[in-house]
Amino acid sequence: MPDLKIEATVNGRKVSKNVAPFARLLDFVRDDLNLTGTKEGCGAGECGTCSVFVDGVLVKSCLVPAAKAKGAKIETVEGLARSGELSVLQKAFHKTGASQCGYCIPGMVMAATAAIRSNPLVSDDEIKERLGGNICRCTGYSKIFEAVELARDVMNGARPATALQEEEVDEGQFIGANVRRLDAPSKVSGALRYAGDTVMPGMLHVAVLRSPHPHARIVSIDTSAAEALPGVEAVVTSADVPGVDGFGVFVHDQPVMAKGKVRYVGEAVAAVAAEDELTAKRAAALIKVVFEALPAIFDPDEAMKAGAPIVHDYAPDNVTKHIPIRKGDVEKALAECDLVIENTYETQQVEHAYLEPEAGLAWVDHDGVVTVLSPSQNITNHRHMLSRIIAKPINKVRFIMSPVGGGFGGKEDMIYQGMLALLAMKTGKPVRLVFTREESIATTAKRHPARIHYRSGFMRDGRLKAIALRMVSDGGAYGLSTEGVMRKAAILGAGPYDIQNLQVDTIGVYTNNTPSGAFRSFGALQTQFATETQMDIAAEKLGLDPFEIRRINMMRNGAITHTKQKLGSVSIGRVLDQLEKAAQWEKGAPAQRGDSRGDLGTDGARRACALDARFVEAPTKTMKSEVA
Amino acid sequence: MLTCDDYLTPVTLGEAFDAMENHRGVYRLVAGATDILPWAREGRAGDVHIPVLIDIAGIPELNVREVAGGNVRLGAATRFQRFLDDKTLAAALPLMPFCAVWFADDQIRESATIGGNLVNASPAADGTPALLAHDARVVLSSRKAGKIVQRTMPLSEFATGPSNTMLAADEILVEVQCPALPKHGGAFEKVGHRRSLVISTVCVAALVEIDATGERFADVKLAVAGIGPVPRRMTAIEEALKTKALSSAILEDAADSAGDLVASRTRQDYRREVVRGFVLRALINAALRAGASTKLISREFEAKYA
Ligand SMILES: Cc1cc2nc3c(=O)[nH]c(=O)nc-3n(C[C@H](O)[C@H](O)[C@H](O)COP(=O)(O)OP(=O)(O)OC[C@H]3O[C@@H](n4cnc5c(N)ncnc54)[C@H](O)[C@@H]3O)c2cc1C
Ligand code: FES
Ligand code: FES
Repeated sequence: MPDLKIEATVNGRKVSKNVAPFARLLDFVRDDLNLTGTKEGCGAGECGTCSVFVDGVLVKSCLVPAAKAKGAKIETVEGLARSGELSVLQKAFHKTGASQCGYCIPGMVMAATAAIRSNPLVSDDEIKERLGGNICRCTGYSKIFEAVELARDVMNGARPATALQEEEVDEGQFIGANVRRLDAPSKVSGALRYAGDTVMPGMLHVAVLRSPHPHARIVSIDTSAAEALPGVEAVVTSADVPGVDGFGVFVHDQPVMAKGKVRYVGEAVAAVAAEDELTAKRAAALIKVVFEALPAIFDPDEAMKAGAPIVHDYAPDNVTKHIPIRKGDVEKALAECDLVIENTYETQQVEHAYLEPEAGLAWVDHDGVVTVLSPSQNITNHRHMLSRIIAKPINKVRFIMSPVGGGFGGKEDMIYQGMLALLAMKTGKPVRLVFTREESIATTAKRHPARIHYRSGFMRDGRLKAIALRMVSDGGAYGLSTEGVMRKAAILGAGPYDIQNLQVDTIGVYTNNTPSGAFRSFGALQTQFATETQMDIAAEKLGLDPFEIRRINMMRNGAITHTKQKLGSVSIGRVLDQLEKAAQWEKGAPAQRGDSRGDLGTDGARRACALDARFVEAPTKTMKSEVA
Repeated sequence: MLTCDDYLTPVTLGEAFDAMENHRGVYRLVAGATDILPWAREGRAGDVHIPVLIDIAGIPELNVREVAGGNVRLGAATRFQRFLDDKTLAAALPLMPFCAVWFADDQIRESATIGGNLVNASPAADGTPALLAHDARVVLSSRKAGKIVQRTMPLSEFATGPSNTMLAADEILVEVQCPALPKHGGAFEKVGHRRSLVISTVCVAALVEIDATGERFADVKLAVAGIGPVPRRMTAIEEALKTKALSSAILEDAADSAGDLVASRTRQDYRREVVRGFVLRALINAALRAGASTKLISREFEAKYA
């Protein structure tokens, strides 16, 4: 393979490297120059974590063949603060608190830099457009836009440079004070290293062979061809697990790699460590697995029926967890109600889409301590589980939590750290695995999809007398956090309402779908979506204002929850007041609103989606007035 | 992941043809690489090995950008961002800036080329309907017996189906040519799964010229993508509108007939409704940008559709 010689100027310095002919500019910058402020969030042009300047033009380096950079001037995020001082924009990001997990931030800073360079007076709307190719999953963008506006104004003299300084806060005051994040400088400068940015001398690269079947028996695994490939140092399968193979947040039902059978498409079957990523991938493709397909089950209601395929032998009814709550007499109360609303709701699977795909390093240190560095959201639990899995005392197992480039619950599961530990033990070398975005989406936990059958009963005056809700939730192939999610869905599902008669059942079920796990709100979202929709329907049917019907029924200070917890203070009243104001809500029952809406097109209301900021002459009169 | 044994960067058309002849059957051309790199990933083509990649983006003939004598010549490697930052180009091709602003994002537009968009021949490509509306012609070049030869054809004949075009194995798309239409107003309406970085579900491109009275259509050019195997012109609607006075009623009639063109495999009802709305909105916006009298269209009508 003829190497490609790349001579370029990077952040003001001349560099010359030989790279693979198919290397991308992103690989050149990260792997050959070790400039890891530029990230790979997707590898497909979608996320903007990889933005760099080539001859002054900002491009997504994951879509640029390195060969195009021959002779070019390249500027990465590290180049912005080359003098040792953060740029005005970076300071502005620091000031406004525009970085959370930070994984998107170097790309954001680059896109913002490009926006201001191309138009020093860039308008607020144009800033949004120019950052349109960069995704952030943490901040909600407001702080980022604020930062860019601040930097623009400071650079134009519209605001003084002092606006970038930290606000003075009284000693010890934090709540209500604008306190700067300590870790922001490392994030805005690209200096912070996430697991996938970390390199160790002699490090091997890992690739994982995954199941193409939703449910199949593993008849045999032949790793000999993979092991024979030059550059390959080790292959592991579940047969390499020395201890008790099983992990999970509640039940330890998931093996490090599929054992005996696979239960979902994407489940790890074997892992390879090799001297480079490509060799590891090629070796994984050489592993021969003979599968015998088993009948699979994809619907949780079907999975609970007698005769359905069984996902785990220990749970012949496929039920992972059933949480019931009983209070009062629901059937009697419903019979007495003036209005009973009955509906079935479904919510879908959702991917967390944190910008940092899973990544981890493992090595065995000089004292024989098996060490795993990864963005795990649950390291203590992982450490205990791994100690059993690899049959080592707890003092010989160490977990290091690397900066988490977004988790949202999705990084609570120990789905790859076990494989890494086994490979580090088998090779005696540091090993690193970095998921592709596709791998991350296909194999990691999702928000539980739910099917909720709901009955609620109201009196004519809007009083909510009874709720009966049954949620059947697809937990997928492994337990992960399903039990906890079912608990939370049950405990919080009926909402912050004072109800005397309640019957809740939340049931997590095994299927051969991608496992479901923890995700922001942890189950409450699904049931509360149904609860709040029922409230809106009731308001319409009873001719009540949707805010009023909630005020009639809300819990108040000192309320006892359905699971008998006494609440000292309850804030829903204040939340409703704020919400009503912010939404510019026009009082009245939803059905009385008529077809003209006074809350659109007013000050503070959002305008319709458009992309016109850059056309000096706003295209139509309507748009002009909207822009103003 | 896309791998290759060799990545060549010819700097003349001659060198490119040398490379193509030397590696006949085992090469692939690359321009901006924004289609080919994401294509070679899991879920699409997966890991792909192409022995030789020939990058033609640096060849001067593919980077021509010229407005002269009522004509526009665009090298096939012209990046979409140029329609936003080259004022001369924007004036001659009034629809292209509106297409460009909806196309991917600022960064990808600095890589993505018009040639790649046309040759990739996605049924939902944005550049294709926009250039179709501009009456574009494509110039295809090859080397036969040591001599570089060219053929030209209307863009409307170039795409033959999803991912299929009239481009022969030994040809390079060198140039796109359009008449300059400085008096036309342009509009581009697009919907996808989100605002930035998406391929269209449906998009409509419109160019409108208004006569001296400010009240009549002098010319209408309309194209649509995402509703069939290849982007297409809406000639029946164009003909029905030409020379007619602009009114809400005539626009609604035109839009009502647009839905019949929907021949996509999925979401037909949705697309029918979108096409109707987009034809209305595109015609209103293009007409207003062409200087149509604002009195002709009621405020409510404009607010509803434009
Ligand atoms: C995140 C993202 C968002 C996108 N958004 C949009 C969008 O909004 N609208 C849209 O239409 N597209 C979009 N695309 C698709 C893509 O950017 C465009 O189709 C682009 O115009 C392709 O051009 P390219 O030069 O990058 O093509 P390349 O990937 O370089 O090439 C594409 C194909 O065309 C061939 N080819 C290229 N140039 C020539 C030539 N001159 N002669 C012969 N063959 C040639 C190549 O061999 C290859 O088969 C998007 C892509 C990404 C990754
Ligand atoms: S856009 Fe390049 S990594 Fe996501
Ligand atoms: S801070 Fe933007 S993705 Fe986390």
